[in-house]
Amino acid sequence: MTALQPAPARTEATALPIGISVPRKEDERLLRGDGRFTDDVQPAHLLEMAVARCPYPHARIVSIDTSAAEQVDGVRQILVGADVLARTEPLTVLRPVPGAPKLPYYALAQEVAAHEGQPVVSVVATSRHIAEDAIELIEISYEPLPHVTDTLAALEPDAPVIHPGELASNLLVANPEGAGDPVVRLAEADVVVTDRFHVNRVTGLPMEPRAVVAQWRPGARELTVHSSTQVPHLMRKQLAEVLRIDESSIRVSASDVGGGFGLKLGIYPEDVLAALHAMTLRRPVKWVEDRMEHFRATTHAREAVHDFTIGATADGRITAMTNTYATDLGAWNSGFGSAQLSSVVFTGPYRVTDGYVERRVTVTNKTPIGAYRGYGQPEVNFPIERLVDRLARRLGMDPLELRERNMLRSDELPWKAVSGAVYDSGDYVRCLHMAAEAVDYAGLRRAGRGPRPDGRLVGVGLSSFVERTGYASARFLARRGSQFGAHESVTLRANRSGGVDLYTGVSSIGQSSETAFAQVVCGVLGIGYPAVRVHAGDTLGSPLNTGAFASRTMIAAAGALRDASLAFREKTLRIAAFRLSDGGSAGPVDPADLDVVDGEVVHRTDPRRRLRLSEVFSIAILGQGLPPEEEPGLEVTAHFEPPDAAYSFGTAAAVVAVDPDTGDYDIERFVMVHDAGTAVNPKIVEGQVRGGLVQGFGAALGEELRYDPDSGQLVNGSMMDYFAPTAADVPPIELLHTEVPSPVTTFGVRGVGEVGTIPPGAAVANAICDALADLGVELTRLPLTPESVWQAIRNARTARG
Amino acid sequence: MTGFGATEPEVDLTTTVNGEEVDARVPARLHAADFLRHRLGLTGTHVGCEQGVCGMCTVLVDGQAVKSCLMLAAQLHGRDVRTVESLATGDDLNPLQRAFTEEHGLQCGFCTPGFLMTATALAERGVPVAREEIREEIAGVLCRCTGYEGIVRAIEGHLNGGAA
Ligand code: FES
Ligand code: FES
Repeated sequence: MTALQPAPARTEATALPIGISVPRKEDERLLRGDGRFTDDVQPAHLLEMAVARCPYPHARIVSIDTSAAEQVDGVRQILVGADVLARTEPLTVLRPVPGAPKLPYYALAQEVAAHEGQPVVSVVATSRHIAEDAIELIEISYEPLPHVTDTLAALEPDAPVIHPGELASNLLVANPEGAGDPVVRLAEADVVVTDRFHVNRVTGLPMEPRAVVAQWRPGARELTVHSSTQVPHLMRKQLAEVLRIDESSIRVSASDVGGGFGLKLGIYPEDVLAALHAMTLRRPVKWVEDRMEHFRATTHAREAVHDFTIGATADGRITAMTNTYATDLGAWNSGFGSAQLSSVVFTGPYRVTDGYVERRVTVTNKTPIGAYRGYGQPEVNFPIERLVDRLARRLGMDPLELRERNMLRSDELPWKAVSGAVYDSGDYVRCLHMAAEAVDYAGLRRAGRGPRPDGRLVGVGLSSFVERTGYASARFLARRGSQFGAHESVTLRANRSGGVDLYTGVSSIGQSSETAFAQVVCGVLGIGYPAVRVHAGDTLGSPLNTGAFASRTMIAAAGALRDASLAFREKTLRIAAFRLSDGGSAGPVDPADLDVVDGEVVHRTDPRRRLRLSEVFSIAILGQGLPPEEEPGLEVTAHFEPPDAAYSFGTAAAVVAVDPDTGDYDIERFVMVHDAGTAVNPKIVEGQVRGGLVQGFGAALGEELRYDPDSGQLVNGSMMDYFAPTAADVPPIELLHTEVPSPVTTFGVRGVGEVGTIPPGAAVANAICDALADLGVELTRLPLTPESVWQAIRNARTARG
Repeated sequence: MTGFGATEPEVDLTTTVNGEEVDARVPARLHAADFLRHRLGLTGTHVGCEQGVCGMCTVLVDGQAVKSCLMLAAQLHGRDVRTVESLATGDDLNPLQRAFTEEHGLQCGFCTPGFLMTATALAERGVPVAREEIREEIAGVLCRCTGYEGIVRAIEGHLNGGAA
């Protein structure tokens, strides 16, 4: 029993359980093997689908003979491109590149398939084994067409044009942006550094591959889709568009999602196919991607070539930055297409008033590119930060000092960058200093580069960054044609057990939103943490929302959660006050004198007057005993759009030891200093940053999807030869945080989900180049394999004779 | 799982799964992970690659951590199988599971059963394991979310004195 003491006054500042690492809501079911991932959904009478895919990078489909496959016992249906053309629209794009024409991307290839792995035929049978056996018997005759897989080669005038019906070349669109007069500034500059930087093609590789289960009840016109998706409501919209049915006929449910990282944003061909089969067969149809398919059919990421230039005065003031980059789209425009944020943050945390950036979206005969944690920000950090170091060497300045000199100071924020981005607030220089101190930058400089007794040379490298988290308003998105808003929406509903049901369209992909959402509700409402039940990722009960991406969930949802909780709390207290006043000898009760403490409403000064929440909620739900003019029910939906994006920021520092003979290197220390604004749950923040960093290390140090230029085939498309980091591969990571609340978000939160992917490449490359400074080695390509370092050493030695 | 074609060769097996004896007739080519998931409804064992690389499907067979995607269901005949569903008692998580939640050793949770079963086998060996060795020992299971730190901390605390 709670002691009868006056309840403490609750104010937003003192009472929020924000900043506390409560145990996660998601953990128990996942620890007990009781998660419900899409392949765990197993309706009665289930059929399974398998997909025949184009083995060539570019081929005309001459003929398809399915007669032998149709004879296989257990095969129920086979669809080809013509069936899809008759019944569906091309897949729609959620985040189009401004000005880009639409490409006719159908769920099954029409006359021409444009990448290895593009779906050509789909088969449904009583088991996956049988469906796959049937695929072996389908005769597809292809006429291979000229292909191009290299990004820059695709832009050459002699390259085969991949979509001749829509485009005159393989340039989908070019988007220039800028401000000031960079051409003049560069001409006047005392020093100009420029180079071409290659960013590797990688994949996010969630541990759960994609999966879909579609069920159709024709009489009810009801399509139920279980899917491993980050965006149930957006998927519903896209399925309605592509299948030509009303949204009201579609329910999308994503219960547990085994990692998304941007790859599960929006529909894929297989989602449309499973739905089509289910609708015509009137039986549930499941498709679970196997890992070999995943490498060819789920979006890849990052691949880009940046031509970056920085101009500066002799005393180290940066006067201009320009960046023209080709970003690889692959063969089709996926839901989010190729990364768009390289342009937004291309001037980094620096005071640059004159700049120009141009994104050139390039079609190639490869698997489509999509969003991946960072969405252009790791890609552009690499050239910026590599060139800042090179500029420092040219000027004879220390890279730390050059950064310090050009970095925006806290009193210069908010700052409108050349791209139009408004950096809201922060102390960039403090993070830089903290990182330098943490690795003892000054001590390392004094100690020199070695060599150590084992011949290794020691180097230290920095990478500073700003990161856009969330979106700069719906108006910004509207200008770019994006098919979603900047807001989040939640519904709170009372239940008779005294608990609150929270409904959200944000699916649980590992980002801990169930936990963080419940924390905010508890904080504002006063109810106990266990009494909040989060129902996530089902379009059936949740308000229409945006979804889990762009590090935007908490930024937007925090406001909706606060608003809903406040309204919910007020009504709870009004009902309780009326009930507590009812015939009481102590006179009427003012709702303002009441508070919610855990499972009860308690009078602040007369704690004997109290009422269980289960009772208050029952009054509301039954509609019996309400104050006059109070509506029955206790349910609040709130929508919230943050006024602007919040920019997180920080600096990473790496210390490496390099063997100058072999190119082999060890990362001895890696310090990440980062500001995520107010941390709702510090453990979750740390987990997000560490997880992002390890993905960042994977992409920076070793991961790369390689295509053979002659055959156009993916060379390493399996887990046997695409190496994501294991526990034994992770360098030692030290994390430091600052906490500058953002003025543009509720509670001052900034996004944290993606930041870790940004600095590893540049920080490690800068450290290696620092160690090898006497050789004049400049690394311009990711990933930083020992072999590529050795190659760069050799090139530098040859250049010097 | 729905029936296979009439010609599908089948085999009979008897095995013990989480302490209970199971008799089953299965298609000869059904692998052990699919058998556990779809025949027995033990969906805590996950499948991430079917090539023996990712470790999502790790279960204990006669006390050894094995990748069940690389075994046929038929090979479970006469063996003792334990899956993640065996770890908790009633509503109580076991100390290893509690260590995972305390150290934030899971995010999406898809890899978690694989790590829990690998760590269970490690704990049952009964020899102390240093942090760097833990990293090597669990390198057969991938995690794309956590960066491994929470997982390593949880296992280390559990193995070395059951700090949890
Ligand atoms: S599914 Fe068995 S190791 Fe990947
Ligand atoms: S928690 Fe998502 S893969 Fe490990």
